[in-house]
Amino acid sequence: MGLALACAGLAAGCGSRSQTAAGSGAGHSGAALGAPAVTVPLSTSLVTSQGTWAITVMGGSAASEDNFWQLFVRPTGAEQWSEVTPPGVADNGGLVAAGTGTSLVIGFRPSQDLAFSPLATSIDAGRNWTPGLLDADLGNDPGALAVDPSGQALALLQDGTIQTAPTAGAAAAGQWSELTTRQALAASAPGRSCGLQRLDAVSFRLNKTPMVAGSCGRPGVTGVFLDTSGTWQSAGLTLPAAYRGDQAQVLGLAATSGGNVALLLAGDSLLAAWSNGTHWTVSAPVAVGAVRASGFGTGGSTWLLLSGGRAETISGTGGSWQALPAVPAGTATLAPGPGGSYDALAVAGSKLTVWRLTRGAWAQVQRITVPIEYGSSS
Amino acid sequence: MPGMNSGLSPDDPTLVAAFRSALLHQGTIAFIAVIFLWLVWATARTWRLTTPSATPGTRGTAGGAEVTADTAEADTVEADAGQSERGGSREARGRWLLRIGFGVLWILDGILQAQPKMAAGLPSLVIEPTAASSPAWVQHLVNWGGTVWSYHPIQAGAATVWIQVGIGAWLIVGGRGRWSRLAGAASAGWGLIVWIFGESFGGIFAPGLSWLTGAPGGVLFYVAAGALVALPEGAWRSPRLGRLVLAGFGIFFIGMAVLQAWPGRGFWQGTVHGRPGSLTAMVQSMVSTSQPRFLSALLSAFSSFVAGHGFAVNLVVVIVLAVLGVIFLTARPRLVRYAVWFGITFCLADWVLVQDLGFLGGVGTDPNSMIPMALLFSAGYLALTPTPEESVGDTAGAGWGQRLQALRPRMLGGMVASASARSVAAVAAVAVIVLGAAPMASAAANHSADPILALAIEGGSTSLDLPAPGFSLTNQDGRAVTLASLHGKVVLMTFLDPVCTTDCPIIAQEFKQTAELLGAKDKDVDLVAIVANPTYRSAAFTQAFDRQEGLAGVPNWQYLTGSVSQLSAVWRGYGVSVTDLPAGAMSAHNDLAIVIDGAGNIREEVGADPGPATTSTQSSFSVLLSQYARQALGRS
Repeated sequence: MGLALACAGLAAGCGSRSQTAAGSGAGHSGAALGAPAVTVPLSTSLVTSQGTWAITVMGGSAASEDNFWQLFVRPTGAEQWSEVTPPGVADNGGLVAAGTGTSLVIGFRPSQDLAFSPLATSIDAGRNWTPGLLDADLGNDPGALAVDPSGQALALLQDGTIQTAPTAGAAAAGQWSELTTRQALAASAPGRSCGLQRLDAVSFRLNKTPMVAGSCGRPGVTGVFLDTSGTWQSAGLTLPAAYRGDQAQVLGLAATSGGNVALLLAGDSLLAAWSNGTHWTVSAPVAVGAVRASGFGTGGSTWLLLSGGRAETISGTGGSWQALPAVPAGTATLAPGPGGSYDALAVAGSKLTVWRLTRGAWAQVQRITVPIEYGSSS
Repeated sequence: MPGMNSGLSPDDPTLVAAFRSALLHQGTIAFIAVIFLWLVWATARTWRLTTPSATPGTRGTAGGAEVTADTAEADTVEADAGQSERGGSREARGRWLLRIGFGVLWILDGILQAQPKMAAGLPSLVIEPTAASSPAWVQHLVNWGGTVWSYHPIQAGAATVWIQVGIGAWLIVGGRGRWSRLAGAASAGWGLIVWIFGESFGGIFAPGLSWLTGAPGGVLFYVAAGALVALPEGAWRSPRLGRLVLAGFGIFFIGMAVLQAWPGRGFWQGTVHGRPGSLTAMVQSMVSTSQPRFLSALLSAFSSFVAGHGFAVNLVVVIVLAVLGVIFLTARPRLVRYAVWFGITFCLADWVLVQDLGFLGGVGTDPNSMIPMALLFSAGYLALTPTPEESVGDTAGAGWGQRLQALRPRMLGGMVASASARSVAAVAAVAVIVLGAAPMASAAANHSADPILALAIEGGSTSLDLPAPGFSLTNQDGRAVTLASLHGKVVLMTFLDPVCTTDCPIIAQEFKQTAELLGAKDKDVDLVAIVANPTYRSAAFTQAFDRQEGLAGVPNWQYLTGSVSQLSAVWRGYGVSVTDLPAGAMSAHNDLAIVIDGAGNIREEVGADPGPATTSTQSSFSVLLSQYARQALGRS
């Protein structure tokens, strides 16, 4: 057992694992079967009556246990951002947010030896948090969690199951029940006609009807479904004729004040679609490379952060895609501000730099040093 | 390879001290055993010489061989049953070379195994890297052996020392006859174990195989040598054995030459696109080994030479191997003689310049392949040309009837008295092997790890005799639990965060394993965890944690929680600090296990940081906790 052999073995035993393009912990919910075009990162932002929230990963080490997800808030009417990540849980697995008019619910994706997903709810712009529990593995999608104003909640799990909690209290106490599974939905009539491959997002329609979006294997069909009294049916979102030959993937789904908004990938184009509860309006396409982050603002506005420093926004129903100036280096997410303005949140290790789009150019407005506890999850 | 590595540092002072202590302890026992054997032998001989029947010239039988009492004075005479095989001739020179050569090598290997890093470091520094490039089935097999070692590093480390020293001594002192052949068989058997589990089959299933770097594994030559020594001595009297050995080497060398010459394996280039070629990289890696400066300078110079003249160096190697192979296949003594001398020189050069002597750096376990290989083909040459003195006829061994006779007490005494010093020394060597093998066999049969791993992580526990602070909390089922309600039972207590992602689930598993280890005693022990998170502390979380860890069905498991003020009081009382950390970090708390006896007194406080949290350290903690629980039960 000479040292020579040992060293020869060492030399041959080294290796490395490739990372996903998104770099945010890959893997969609529902055990993807087909060919997923895009992995949607968890970095996003959303707007509630409390303010604008942004989620991004920070850290600086290649080790996943030194990457910590952070939640920032810019309270309504405020100019500055604050770090308000809920305490008490290691969030290396990622954060998923769902907002209602008055509260924000954060789901912690499990990491390392944790197998379930703690929740945290705030009604005061992140100053205080109330714990909650989803005794399951929350999906790795920014749209995996949805809450309606009454407190009813939906959660898309990593295995493609959808669970529901009837009230905020039930969600806090871990009293969730199964609504459906990817397999069951795929076996339903609309699931079969879509050739459902995986589930991507959950939301509510205005009348508290659960809405689920997924990726269809059948070209030209979109996978947005409604649970009407225990029966799943298509939400009626159809692709423009130009995309009848393309498979469609729903990258995002959210409720708006007047209905719902969805972000669709068809071929190499992205389209926004808005529903007013009765019919859908689909935007013109925008060509995409890799999607770095995406999110929704008020009134159905949608933004995209793309590779190469590109960013696109669309204001809402009937709007058209507008390119933003090239975003600052390190931009991890965008966040809509008042009056159609945007902030770009750029990350370097534990430093967050906020850039604000002012008069057609990005201006640095704030710098936050986040007290990351390196090694605390090792 | 999940169980292979304990994750502890090979230099861990607790493990190094325990290893030294075990070696010293077993060494003392070995010394006493040797002295005892010598005393028995000397006493028996004295008794035989002073009894009336033991007059000079009196004939007796011992082990079926006739001896005279006066010859018992002469240590060179062997009276054991194996003596009959000698037939009075000299031992074949080839056999003698293998016996002494590999005896010395085994003793050297045993001494190398006694290096301080070996106990904790062998699996991670030697076995695991060697197996890493082998196929999955090899890794799976090797992992089994590595796991046994990492669960019982002290016993395994010490056992290996004594087994190898014992085999070496046995080969050297065994001389000839059955004892000696048995030593050869033991050498082959142990060598096979080392070759498979220590060398991952010498890396023959891994890519990059090369004669220069030790293929097919140095210990395989020990196995072959042991097998040759174990052959009846008659086999050594004809040149046939030598021809067979040399033919084997001939095929081996030609095969290695082909492998060395095979294109695309990186041996023809000293550098490839500015990066070192296979051989250059190998030599360069050896330069960094801890060793005398002149050696590293020599290797450094040679690596530069190989980098610049890779093709020429490999051409020389290929030609030499091929020529040696062809000459060995011819089995023409005169030609083979020169080839052997040249082969020895070439092996020594490779041993120094490529293999860097093999045993340096603190985790070298043997001198690699060149020395044993040279010994083996040299023995093959000697067997090819037996001297006339070696060609004396053989006689039959003792019959079973005679052997049974020898078991009668008087006969046994006679046999001991008439045994040669060589035989007694061989028995002593076997005793040394047994001394190492017995505790190792016992450890291998025990699926729980040695508690020394947990002690190494925690640096020992603190024995106390203090009243445990009282508490009044609620368990996962909503039932009120106080310290008083647990009176009469031993309580193993710890503090766990139900949403912790790292240590707490591991500590919970250690407690679960502790319950299994306690067996029937489990009913007298309560396993109690107290929530260590000020936010995520409701029963919903303790229940979710229990489901996650499979603790929901453990009857004596209680996961207690309460209000923040109730929990804070308990944390303070038991010296546990719980802090919410910012920016997405989990709550911080100290890992602690506390043993409370049936009277409500704290008896032991153990740091419960799971350390590397490997299967062996987890098992070790469980064993340690179960031992403390048993001790507390004994006091209750």
